[in-house]
Amino acid sequence: MRRTGPVAGAVLAGALALAGCGTGSSASAHSAPSLSVGSAYMPQPVSDTMAAGFLTITNKGDAEDQLTSVTSDAAAEITVHRTVDGTMREADRLTVPAHGRLVLASGGNHLMFDKLTHKPEQGQTITVELHFTHSGPLRVEMPVKSATYNPTTGH
Amino acid sequence: MRKKTFAAAALLAAASFTLTACGSGDDGDQPVSVVSEETASQQAATVLDKPFEKPDLVLTDTRGKKYDLRAETAGKPTLIYFGYTHCPDVCPLTMNNLAVAKKQLSAADQDKLRIVFVTTDPDRDTPSALGTWLKGIDSDIVGLTGDFDTIQAGARTLGITIEAPHKDKNGKIVSTHGTQVVAFSPKTDAGYVLYGEDATVDDYTKDLPKLIKGQNP
Repeated sequence: MRRTGPVAGAVLAGALALAGCGTGSSASAHSAPSLSVGSAYMPQPVSDTMAAGFLTITNKGDAEDQLTSVTSDAAAEITVHRTVDGTMREADRLTVPAHGRLVLASGGNHLMFDKLTHKPEQGQTITVELHFTHSGPLRVEMPVKSATYNPTTGH
Repeated sequence: MRKKTFAAAALLAAASFTLTACGSGDDGDQPVSVVSEETASQQAATVLDKPFEKPDLVLTDTRGKKYDLRAETAGKPTLIYFGYTHCPDVCPLTMNNLAVAKKQLSAADQDKLRIVFVTTDPDRDTPSALGTWLKGIDSDIVGLTGDFDTIQAGARTLGITIEAPHKDKNGKIVSTHGTQVVAFSPKTDAGYVLYGEDATVDDYTKDLPKLIKGQNP
């Protein structure tokens, strides 16, 4: 329900942008986001109350998209958070720029899993589904890594 | 992280060349600059020129008992971090990094080390909530809660700014954690080394043996 406002706004903005482009070039009619997901992992959480998840969404397409919601059997509620200077805030949606990436990484943006159905343990895999304004949903297999996992060093 | 380190090393190297060039007339400061160049190229630690005094915090521990930080940690190597348990990312990562590094110390050194987690969200982090959370990381970690204003004032003396938890437009509580771990020397009880949130298990594993002795990492 909550998402109706922002999504409607995004669609409207998209329509306006397309109308603007349409006068000069017909190529924009074919522009579309083309998304893929990589580097997904969840650090093993401390408790069964909440967990964080990280991933990178790459857009090879000519149009931007927005990550609007995330669902999973592993948790009743998943939200997207932005962290700035140690303060974490819920984000309505995050943009995946055309020919760019949306990076959710430790210390910055992350997925927050609330009301977990069970405590994820290292070695397990969590399946999440990412929902977007334009693109169809993407299923992501998210491995549970150690609590101190560092994607830079890989351990 | 590596990039940043290299950039810092390059800057220091440039600075020391400059100093060397200038130094032909006055060689008094040269050895100091050379030492910092060597350490900065591989260290997550920042050694402070002006150490912090240990904050005068009297709070409540996870058993609900009064805990006087200065009295309890006097003469002990001590690491302090300000965070909260409803934090999914950086707070548990930081505490787990410390806990994993600690387990690689000798038993005697582990006994000496005090790791103190001070909550920035005392309304939700009651003594028992803190205790349950810390048990999932390392039950030797001291968890402290109490009056927010007292905690905020204590953090401020260490240059750490925390905001009072408040509700966002969706009614969710927004809390703030510190971004630094402060290490206090067993010799002086002063906070003399800082670690940022990108410090890894390996960084702490390498440095803890020195911090235990009050040496510079």
